[in-house]
Amino acid sequence: MERFSFEWFGNLLAVGFGVGAVIYAVWVIVGRIGYVASQRQLVGTEVRRNIHRLILAGTLLLAATFILSEIRGLVVLADLVIGAIGNIPSFIGDIIKYFEDVPGEQLQKSLLVGGLFGAVTTGLVGLIAKKRLLLPEFSMRAWGYAVVGVAVGFLFSIGLWYSLLLGLAVLLATSLILDSTVRDYLTPTNFKPLFSTPSLRILGIGLPVGAMVGAISSQILMYPTQHCTYIDGAPRLEYRFGLFVTVGSALLILLPVWALLFKDRTTIKEVSTSGYFRNPVLPYLFLSPTLFILIVFLYYPGSQVLTLSTKLKRFPLPQERFSCMANYVKLTEDPIYQNSFSTTIFFTVMIVILSMFLALMIAILASQKIKGASVYRSLLIWPYAVSPIVTAIVFLTMFREGGAGLINYALDNLFGLEPRWLTDTDLAPWVVILAAVWNSLGFNILFYIAGLQNVPEDLLEAAAIDGANRIQKFIRITFPLLSPFTFFLLITNITYSFYGIYGAVEALTQGGPTLGAGGKDGGATNVLIYKLYQDAFVNGRSGEAAAQALILFLMVAGLTVLQFRFVERRVTYSG
Amino acid sequence: MKKIVLFAVVALMVAGVATMGREAKPTQAQDQVEITFSHIFGDENRSGLIQKYADAYMAEHPNVKINLQIATSYPENINGALLASEQGNAPHIVQIYEIGSRLALDSGIFIPVGSVATEDQLATLDDIIQPVLNYYTFDDQVWSVPFNSSNPILYYNMEILEQAGVEAVPQTYSEVLAACDKIMAAGIESLEGCIGWSVNGWFVEQWVSEQGALLANNGNGRADRATEVELDSEAMLNIFTWWKELADKDYYVYTGALEDWDGSDALFTGQQVAFHITSTADLRNITDAATEAGFNAGTAYIPIPDGVERNGTVIGGASLWLTGDHPQAELEAAVDFMLFLGKTENGVDWHKGTGYFPIRYSAIEALEAEGWFDANPTFMTAFDQLTSTIPNEASAGAVIGIFQELRTIVEQAAQSVIDGGADPAEALAAADDRADESMAEYNSLVSE
Repeated sequence: MERFSFEWFGNLLAVGFGVGAVIYAVWVIVGRIGYVASQRQLVGTEVRRNIHRLILAGTLLLAATFILSEIRGLVVLADLVIGAIGNIPSFIGDIIKYFEDVPGEQLQKSLLVGGLFGAVTTGLVGLIAKKRLLLPEFSMRAWGYAVVGVAVGFLFSIGLWYSLLLGLAVLLATSLILDSTVRDYLTPTNFKPLFSTPSLRILGIGLPVGAMVGAISSQILMYPTQHCTYIDGAPRLEYRFGLFVTVGSALLILLPVWALLFKDRTTIKEVSTSGYFRNPVLPYLFLSPTLFILIVFLYYPGSQVLTLSTKLKRFPLPQERFSCMANYVKLTEDPIYQNSFSTTIFFTVMIVILSMFLALMIAILASQKIKGASVYRSLLIWPYAVSPIVTAIVFLTMFREGGAGLINYALDNLFGLEPRWLTDTDLAPWVVILAAVWNSLGFNILFYIAGLQNVPEDLLEAAAIDGANRIQKFIRITFPLLSPFTFFLLITNITYSFYGIYGAVEALTQGGPTLGAGGKDGGATNVLIYKLYQDAFVNGRSGEAAAQALILFLMVAGLTVLQFRFVERRVTYSG
Repeated sequence: MKKIVLFAVVALMVAGVATMGREAKPTQAQDQVEITFSHIFGDENRSGLIQKYADAYMAEHPNVKINLQIATSYPENINGALLASEQGNAPHIVQIYEIGSRLALDSGIFIPVGSVATEDQLATLDDIIQPVLNYYTFDDQVWSVPFNSSNPILYYNMEILEQAGVEAVPQTYSEVLAACDKIMAAGIESLEGCIGWSVNGWFVEQWVSEQGALLANNGNGRADRATEVELDSEAMLNIFTWWKELADKDYYVYTGALEDWDGSDALFTGQQVAFHITSTADLRNITDAATEAGFNAGTAYIPIPDGVERNGTVIGGASLWLTGDHPQAELEAAVDFMLFLGKTENGVDWHKGTGYFPIRYSAIEALEAEGWFDANPTFMTAFDQLTSTIPNEASAGAVIGIFQELRTIVEQAAQSVIDGGADPAEALAAADDRADESMAEYNSLVSE
């Protein structure tokens, strides 16, 4: 089938834009000049007054030239989109054929898992949302002990699940013994709403709807994974991963369904309608360009990553083979990956703490009312303008060994010391952390300076009158008022530590120095994002790299959700 | 003000018209053949030379248009070609580094040059230095035409050697150690160590070949597809034991970063080491930098383990591969251009301009005839080392699909030995396991 060509359309569009812009500009100028002449006023001021129209005309012209020069790219893009749309029928056909052919047993098992999960969670969510089931509120102290419990579990390496169980036990015990929240919670009155007709009604709707939605939704991700974990005799670990995938898939539709079913209707009526679109289609029309970009550049490639992670494939060879969850299983058993995991967590904690602490200290110093403060501030922000890889190359010239580096040259001449910055397993991580901290410092300082300028003077003055000293003023007033900035920076810094330090590792250590003989235990700076890059583009293990990418994404997404859930509660946004 | 605004609008209009003009497509004559050559030379000097050869070819063959395409690195070039091939527009000629050969064969998008070339054209290949041609011959078929080749040589600082009283340039591992004992005892201020080379799997491959040993089973993957690498061999142990001894005595120095070519060159030209091992492709740069720093750089064969007969180095560099999915006329033009690129006078010109050595006997003869080597004696070492190579499976080099990963594994093993203090045998065994596992996966995928 010959594809519809967009070239002539693009040309037409561009020429149309151009001609339109020129006519508009001429009309503006001639019209205004004529008007001005008839009014015998100064031409200059009138033109200046209409300058925005001229700018608009110029912008349109520029847009026209851009469209014209990018026409090939646009044509390719349009062709791709048309091709993709053209493929939809055969894509749907494939799906239908797949579900016709899939063995009934595998299908039933996955439907059962999805349905059960959907029914139970929907019931619970309904009861909780409608205040039929009240949950105990755990104190921050209890959560703190629980985290310590999990950490202790990891320290004695009793396994992930036992560590989590230990954490839960600590949480409950602390609440029972120290806080008595759970004891207070366990009174009959708290459970009365549960045993009433509204509860039955919620369950009556929630259970069947949840089961149905869960079962159907669970099949979304069963198509790319081909129900492979439900085959009789599938390895235990793969089967467990399969359960995760099924549950995750079920949540894809369950989450919006919960929002629709259980949203609080009373609040909507009270909200004034002034901020809402009357026309229900209009908001989606405005959103559509963004959605289009997101689908083409984010969601579609994202779904491809999922498909790729279930395959054995060597980039750049075209050959591939379906391998179910083998890539994930391999990762969990790989000591090198485990090392990358713990290294990443260590790096993240260190970068976030160091970078934010230093930034806050420097920002406080730079916010003082001294001569030329704005100059200092601009200079402090500069590191942010340097890209991570350039930063790392600068650090490399400083930290190189064997007499080729500046720092060792100085240290050698002054003290006769030559630390092995890049090849010592204890030192190398700190060099990378230092480079990353230096690079992100400017960004953090920028936000903290802005934050400090927002702290109201009168509060600080009042505190001073009450006899608070500098440190008390900082801890009691300034720092709490900075909490929105700290929270925002926490999220961006964590994301940066997970994704942004690739450049530093690549230029400085290439993941090394190695741990264990022959590097069988990984490298001291081989963080997840670097290992991902190496596996994907150097070693060409596409499938495994895709699995790593998904895990990394879920980690960062999970951390961000957790932060919004727990940390943001302690943030005070000033009115 | 009005004039300025008017001027701006007119300027914008002109810009718009100018961009429209840029989109105009050239009209094509009917017998016009258009081919694409994708290479990796981003620098002005070498890409300029390629452009010069292409222009010369187009002048000779007016009906052929050659588009040049530049990739940023060897891996990028082969990856890009394979991805373009999925879209149905692979470049006709792709420059692929020697270790990418297995990958290129397994990808299935390339065809042997020998299947397109005429008898006469094939006969011209006999002029190519035998070990170089060997590397790219599989199943007695010439798959690709060698283009740019280099191998590693030993560079030494003549002044330091003289000062330390080292009379003969060391040729074996123990001689290097002995020379280093003398040099380090001489108390020369500038020295950080005695010898340096970048931690790079490439050098290890050369030393394996020098010992006549194989890097992979099944005749280095040439008799049949390789199923196992042989990192735990005697030959590998020789290399790593020596390396460790040099490192333990602080004779061996590197910059701490893997494959840091420039950094290790700087150690030598900064007179921080007396010996240096690197590619002949850097010969021009290093000798110039040495002269500038006030010393003379000499060159010699790379040192080899004691008691081994010198088998010769594996050739390094790249060759030109032909992608198959094109009309016959384009394929013929592509092969013709490939051979044109390597012809004698271009080979001579290429060598002088870059330092890569000419790969044709006739080009070497031409250079000798004009007295090039008498004027540039250091350039001779590389040729001698290459032409004295004994052609066999070891010196033909291994053909492995996971070569890029293998290099990383070897480098990490080396790092764990020289920095981490690991036992060489233990490190090599672990590296061997890692490489074998990866190779098994690769083979299971491509041999289905």
